[in-house]
Amino acid sequence: MIFLSLTTETGIGFDNFIYFFSTPYLIQALVRSLIIASASTLIAAIISWPLAYFVVFCVKEKWRPLFLLAILAPFWTSFTIRAFSWQLVLSDNGVISWLIEKATGSSVALGILYTMNASIFGLALFGSMLCTFTLYGALVSIDKKLVEAASTLGARPYQIFRDIILPLALPGWLAGIVLSFIVCIGDYAVPTLLGGGLKPVLAQIMLSILKGTYNLSQAATIATILAVTVIICASPLMFFRLFNRRRASA
Amino acid sequence: MRELTVSRPVFILLTAFFCAALSIIYLPILVMIIFSFNSGRYQTLPFREPTFEWYVKLVADSSFVDSFFTSLFMASLASIAATALGFLAAYAFSKAKIPFYSLFFGLILSPLVIPIILIGIGMRLQIVSVGIEPALWLVLVGQTLYVLPLAVINLKNRIDKIPKSIEEAGISLGSNKLHLIVFILVPICAPTIFATILLTFTFSFDEFVIAYFLTNFEITLPIRIWTSLVTGFEPKINAAGSAVFMFSLILGFIAQFILLFKQSGKQNGVEPRET
Repeated sequence: MIFLSLTTETGIGFDNFIYFFSTPYLIQALVRSLIIASASTLIAAIISWPLAYFVVFCVKEKWRPLFLLAILAPFWTSFTIRAFSWQLVLSDNGVISWLIEKATGSSVALGILYTMNASIFGLALFGSMLCTFTLYGALVSIDKKLVEAASTLGARPYQIFRDIILPLALPGWLAGIVLSFIVCIGDYAVPTLLGGGLKPVLAQIMLSILKGTYNLSQAATIATILAVTVIICASPLMFFRLFNRRRASA
Repeated sequence: MRELTVSRPVFILLTAFFCAALSIIYLPILVMIIFSFNSGRYQTLPFREPTFEWYVKLVADSSFVDSFFTSLFMASLASIAATALGFLAAYAFSKAKIPFYSLFFGLILSPLVIPIILIGIGMRLQIVSVGIEPALWLVLVGQTLYVLPLAVINLKNRIDKIPKSIEEAGISLGSNKLHLIVFILVPICAPTIFATILLTFTFSFDEFVIAYFLTNFEITLPIRIWTSLVTGFEPKINAAGSAVFMFSLILGFIAQFILLFKQSGKQNGVEPRET
């Protein structure tokens, strides 16, 4: 598929790519995509730790799947609907500003909806579900005997975390980070509904080209650039993973 | 047993964080459900008297109902097709010796690690360049491929746990390969197969991009909802959103419940293989 979107280019030459990189609007969209995806992935990566940690280390083994499900349940419901429901909460006359008004007595324009921050927030929430899921998988498979042995041998809690839990959970965590970055950079629903249409990301532009001007080769160019971006951004983490596995098996 | 690694203050902190996260995840959905019963025309508080008006209007709107049935139909077919194909693929990956194993396995799973919008665009470009008109059956193909990795992963996990001795017993008692798969392996995996169908169904039912790119006129429910969200607000959307959300949530929950609880324990007299 990606090969095909490339060949549609080469039939016409690289004009489309030149056009892309000489249009500030499109470059801004690329940069915006990158910023939003990185920021939300970063937040997600951090949030996933306490969540997965809670499920694995604070919940009885029997109940773990239930707690995990509680976090993950919205994951398999429609993306669009969840983005929309945040609109209701964040908008200037939404629930949060209503609560603030009730509490303080003065009406405030929240000004969060239709900004980049709203996009980052929405995507971070989604990404943290992915990260929590993969991190959970890694944490749950850690042999508890290792932890017990370390603590009987007198390791401090933070030493246990640093020397045992962190290295063992790292692969799962990184997989979650890669996945959530990929999902975040390719998403259109959250940036449209929460970020607004004025400052679009690449995915939105592709959508509007296909349903609007219908310039297929242009859409293919953007798709290719997005794909290359994803590969470039994900590859260091992938390599790190491979390297780590080699070292573990050696 | 509580773990030794977590001290009391950390435990309390983590619990608090978990509860906070849960409430943040579910707050907007709750708000949407509440608004769907609000009789006010605009989405503002305070809440007016409760009403079923929007649900009634939703059911009366033929474009919603039609798209719902389209989605239902597509998702049913796609989930069954993906599960059937997935079962065969999972069986092959689990039991057969395949050259370039990891390459093929990676290829089957690759839709998971490609942004779905790229898959959608790629398919659209491909059918246009081959000269096929966008149509509903293409969505079916696309969505089947999209949910296939899920089916393969779930089913492979299950098939991996079936002891080899069961197959050997079957063969020594005179069953051929086909008989073995249909009458021995499928019944053993039945709960997982059921859960996989449900799970792929919810994913395909909520899938938007592929359907959006591969059809022109026949629309599915996510497309209908998206259109009305982008073009202008209708209060019916709250009702539609709540209904779809609950629908997917319940299906998905049942599926995951089966996968996570039933699978780990004893099942049809077959103990999971200890490793």
